[in-house]
Amino acid sequence: MIESKTYYFNTFQIDAAALDRLVTEALSTGGNYADLYFENTTYGSLLLRDGAVTSGGNHIDFGVGIRVLSGEKTGYAYSESTAWEDMLASARAAAQIASGPTDVSPYGTRNPSRGEPNPHADRYPIGQPWRGTPMSTFLPFLQKLEAQVRSRDTRIVKVIANLAFQVSDILMYNSDRELKWDTRPMGSVSLTAVFKQGNLTENKSTSRSFRCGAEMLTDALATEMATEIVKGIDDRFAAKRPKGGQMPVVMGAGASGILLHEAMGHAFEADFNRKGTSIFADKMGQQICPKGIQIIDDGTLRGNRGSLNFDDEGIPGQKTYMVEDGVLTSYLHDRISAAHYGVRPTGNGRRESFRYAPIPRMRSTYMESGIAQASDLIAEVSKGIYVDEFSNGQVQIGEGDFTFYVKSGYLIENGKLTQPVKDINIIGNGPAALADIRGVANDLAIDPGAWTCGKEQSVPVSCGIPTVLIGKLTVGGE
Amino acid sequence: MEKAVLTQEEIALAKHCLNFALKEGADKVRITLTKSLLNLVGLLNGEVDKTSHALDRSLQLQLFVADKFGSFSSNRLEKEGLEAFIREAIDTVRMLEADAYRTLPAPERQAKDAVTGRELGLYDPAYETLTAEARRQMALSSIAWPKEGLIAEEGEYSDSVFDSLTLDSQGLEARHTETSFEIGYESTIEDAEGRHFSSYWWDATPRLKDLQLKDCAEKACQRAKDQLNPQTVPSGKYTLILDTECASKVVTPILSALGGYSLQQKNSFLTDSLGKQLFPQGLTILDAPRTPGDTGCRLFDSEGVATREMPIIENGVVKTYFLNTYISGKMEMEPTIEDATRVKVLPLGGCKTQQDVLDQVKDGILVTGFNGGNSNPATGNFSYGIEGFLIKDGKRVHPVREMLITGDFLTLWSHLVAAAQDARPCLSKLVPTLAFTNVDFSA
Repeated sequence: MIESKTYYFNTFQIDAAALDRLVTEALSTGGNYADLYFENTTYGSLLLRDGAVTSGGNHIDFGVGIRVLSGEKTGYAYSESTAWEDMLASARAAAQIASGPTDVSPYGTRNPSRGEPNPHADRYPIGQPWRGTPMSTFLPFLQKLEAQVRSRDTRIVKVIANLAFQVSDILMYNSDRELKWDTRPMGSVSLTAVFKQGNLTENKSTSRSFRCGAEMLTDALATEMATEIVKGIDDRFAAKRPKGGQMPVVMGAGASGILLHEAMGHAFEADFNRKGTSIFADKMGQQICPKGIQIIDDGTLRGNRGSLNFDDEGIPGQKTYMVEDGVLTSYLHDRISAAHYGVRPTGNGRRESFRYAPIPRMRSTYMESGIAQASDLIAEVSKGIYVDEFSNGQVQIGEGDFTFYVKSGYLIENGKLTQPVKDINIIGNGPAALADIRGVANDLAIDPGAWTCGKEQSVPVSCGIPTVLIGKLTVGGE
Repeated sequence: MEKAVLTQEEIALAKHCLNFALKEGADKVRITLTKSLLNLVGLLNGEVDKTSHALDRSLQLQLFVADKFGSFSSNRLEKEGLEAFIREAIDTVRMLEADAYRTLPAPERQAKDAVTGRELGLYDPAYETLTAEARRQMALSSIAWPKEGLIAEEGEYSDSVFDSLTLDSQGLEARHTETSFEIGYESTIEDAEGRHFSSYWWDATPRLKDLQLKDCAEKACQRAKDQLNPQTVPSGKYTLILDTECASKVVTPILSALGGYSLQQKNSFLTDSLGKQLFPQGLTILDAPRTPGDTGCRLFDSEGVATREMPIIENGVVKTYFLNTYISGKMEMEPTIEDATRVKVLPLGGCKTQQDVLDQVKDGILVTGFNGGNSNPATGNFSYGIEGFLIKDGKRVHPVREMLITGDFLTLWSHLVAAAQDARPCLSKLVPTLAFTNVDFSA
């Protein structure tokens, strides 16, 4: 939702002249670029536990972050008040990074975002605003959700359902005199159920998260989540640890996109490459995976958790092809790394809040569909594993070693899914795994869950992938 | 110059908010006012790459209204705005469902000795003398750059002050103030074939004079070099020696499983474990939250309940659950403390150093870091990526990578054979080098 410029000026009690004065002060010690990031975020939450919505709350986070660049060096400070003296003190603290004019002029990327925000290009559909709607309006959704879950399986002993929403007013201004504003909604529902069968206990979780309004809280969503939470629970109780070791892995469509996020996405974030630490630092223009593969980081999917009208440096949201026909074609850039590489920013400069300077971050990362059938990829494997539900992942940027934790999957024996498996970690090396993709199915799915990336700061992201066969990864087991 | 600790005006505002909430209809109120100031100098390849200055304030309210409960916070500390915020908050609480277990703790359980915030000696006045230039010089004092093979070196020096005051409507006033000084480096080296290897080293302390600046970057660089020429070893059962730097990975899930919310929600592999011998004889894990000057210690938890030294596991027997006032009511058990503060694993097996442990077990895999993985809180099953070294005859043979360990926590701990005495004071949990036999490694 994009309000009028006046709305943001009033929210932050600022005007255009004051923005100019603040930027001028920030550059007073010789910095060659400065930007301001005003944020007013309201959070709300409701928690259903033990059959009742007995906990909830609201939170306000307000402030302005001031960044000064001197070449590629960053000075950063923030104020939780927009009173002039407080902002001035922060501008001066940030300005300490510079100690005189620099002969570096890295911002040859000016004018990437001239013009005012266009409300017609808004990527956040809002039917019912979170702000201004009484919290009591949302209670019935959680109650219906719990009732639907409990009606589906008598083994359920506990249900926890959480609704969290936030709305952020953002105003950005920089020393190139670019002014941008945005209001970003986010609604998330998470659901956990604990099942008991004899002496065995299992839990399952699922979530949905979108940049949209409260209209997301529909009966259809409750049904969808309730169905998903009980799906496969019999297999979960029957699941065993596989015999560990290296084997082919078929990654199911959707949440398996965590492979792209961990195995390559982070390594493509240009700050790691600018610093020389990434395993992909010298791979630009090279074939890094089989021909026919396209890998994308996309900030333009309407309502997607990772989408943005503008990134946190005021660069318009965009769709970035990182890999085209198997060739590495672009890193993910913020303004600093774009200047370093002499390219345009890709709209990946993101931050957790005004408390943080922006750095290159992913948005929605996915691989385009291929031409294979998912069932054919499984049929190709004589002995391996199929995985489709995950909880978390991690990567070592320098080495390129990545891992992700599998909540559930199946053994593949002679081309067929057989024994259910659970709670195993899978480890591989990014470049090796990308080069070892044996097949890509035609069933791309973007996972709708509440994925959060934790590189130095937490930002919302999403991921997706079609069913993919990788020739060899190391699977944890007994 | 902004004040790094809470001012009398800020404290008066918090007290006003408490009284205002009561006046507006809250039955009980708890307020926590926090303030922190952080200064940071970041380095890249021997030069200052970033500086950061961060002052944060927050007022958190927990409101109890007619058996209903809500939690709220704001960093906009202006009286009129907060009054409007509190009115709306009370309205929000009223529309929630009732929960009779929501209440403040009994006053006799609350801390009476946290008056100045400095009783534990965790505030270092030396902080007040630091200048921007002094911080820059400290950051630069321990660089290793440039160095043969080193392709990137990132460093960070930071210091901070944290001050908090917890008030409630039954008269609690509990304050905690601490300083922290930290240095950390991450080094990346490249081998002859262009492969990268990274590692880190760090130190942190409440007192500036204790900060180990010297050699921090050198240690990070050496640890990265130690990883050169990794080799694979076959999958199988090995003795796991867990370096103290990462050994808390196998203790934290125990603490989580003993947490009230996990137990009450039946999402714990330690359900009904109180008083039972589930861990090996000889294993004792303590909570020692009141050691003066010790990193992370505190006199009270978020409810203001006084901390005390107590065993968590004693000779293998589970001695406590972590139950706050709310969860204890729901579980119909006596409340304890909401969570552990300063966890210590006591020595076992007569080893003092990591080398003592290696000499004792002879062969195995020394794990020096984790790469991803997770555990199932309901079953205790885990699977983690690891990095480390193959050990033969008590000596490092070569680094290992792309390996996983898999198992369940109760079985793992039943195979504990050694706990050394080498935990560094800067670690949040004092877990020394540990050794476990018969652990599944996949490669």
